[in-house]
Amino acid sequence: MCHQTVSLAARYLEENGIATVVMGCAKDIVEFCGVPRFLFSDFPLGNAAGRPKDSDSQASTLELALRVLEVAPAPRTTVQSPLRWSEDPAWKLDYSNIDRLSAEEIQRRREEFDRQKEIAKTIREAPTAAG
Amino acid sequence: MTGQEQDLGFAPEDDAPIPYMHRIWEYYQTLGYGTPYRWAHYAEVPFQPLKKPLAQCRVALITTAAPHQPGKGDQGPGAPYNAAAKFYRVYSGDTALDHDLRISHVAIDRVHTTAEDSNTYFPLPQLQRCAAAGRIGAVAPHFYGMPTNRSQRTTIERDCPKLLAHCRADGADAAILVAN
Repeated sequence: MCHQTVSLAARYLEENGIATVVMGCAKDIVEFCGVPRFLFSDFPLGNAAGRPKDSDSQASTLELALRVLEVAPAPRTTVQSPLRWSEDPAWKLDYSNIDRLSAEEIQRRREEFDRQKEIAKTIREAPTAAG
Repeated sequence: MTGQEQDLGFAPEDDAPIPYMHRIWEYYQTLGYGTPYRWAHYAEVPFQPLKKPLAQCRVALITTAAPHQPGKGDQGPGAPYNAAAKFYRVYSGDTALDHDLRISHVAIDRVHTTAEDSNTYFPLPQLQRCAAAGRIGAVAPHFYGMPTNRSQRTTIERDCPKLLAHCRADGADAAILVAN
């Protein structure tokens, strides 16, 4: 949801005269929505602004986003950060990969998903929703 | 791969951006949630070039992270998904202050990252450094938090107008939106 939310927000701001750049790690979701400018980091979700405990990585990632903001020639400009999360790309096979889960784990996740959904619903429907 | 292809320096086939929409679709189908999610999808994309040099622009930072909320369960680093920490209204924070924002309420990659360093998802300190160095004109007086609502209608019709009003009130010329 997160990448979709910021993509919709970027479009809305842009339609109303504010130039935007999205920093994200989920390339397909952002591009499927369609945004003006996108700095894509091929990193695990949660690291759109650079590598943990690596200020050089964080500085160069933001600088690249600023460059995209400045020089994108047209909408749907995606630039991919040259930084790599790891020399071994095996991490990409893990996220929500059903082929890697046992039947027991799938059942456990189903129950956990229902539980979390109920919690979220309670907050969303509270008279004074948080935030 | 044939010997001939190896000479060309191709990367492994799996070394490509993760197909999240397909993974998520397959995941929830297998868990038993039948109706697939319809992702937002547009053929037309708006475009607003910067109206002045970035060194003169006031830049807003927009995040989906949430302020740490003591008493609402584990919010990390390394926390499991925690729906109790979710929020459903656009919020703002003073960019002159330090903030403790967390991402336990969204679907980050919990196998390969822990969210131990908020600079990986909330680059306000780095953006402030860019302002101090004259790379951007200024950081907008507030940053804004966007709720990650499953309902696109809620995002577009309720949250986006609120976000725009905040940006306008702060005189933002440009915005950086960081996803999680």
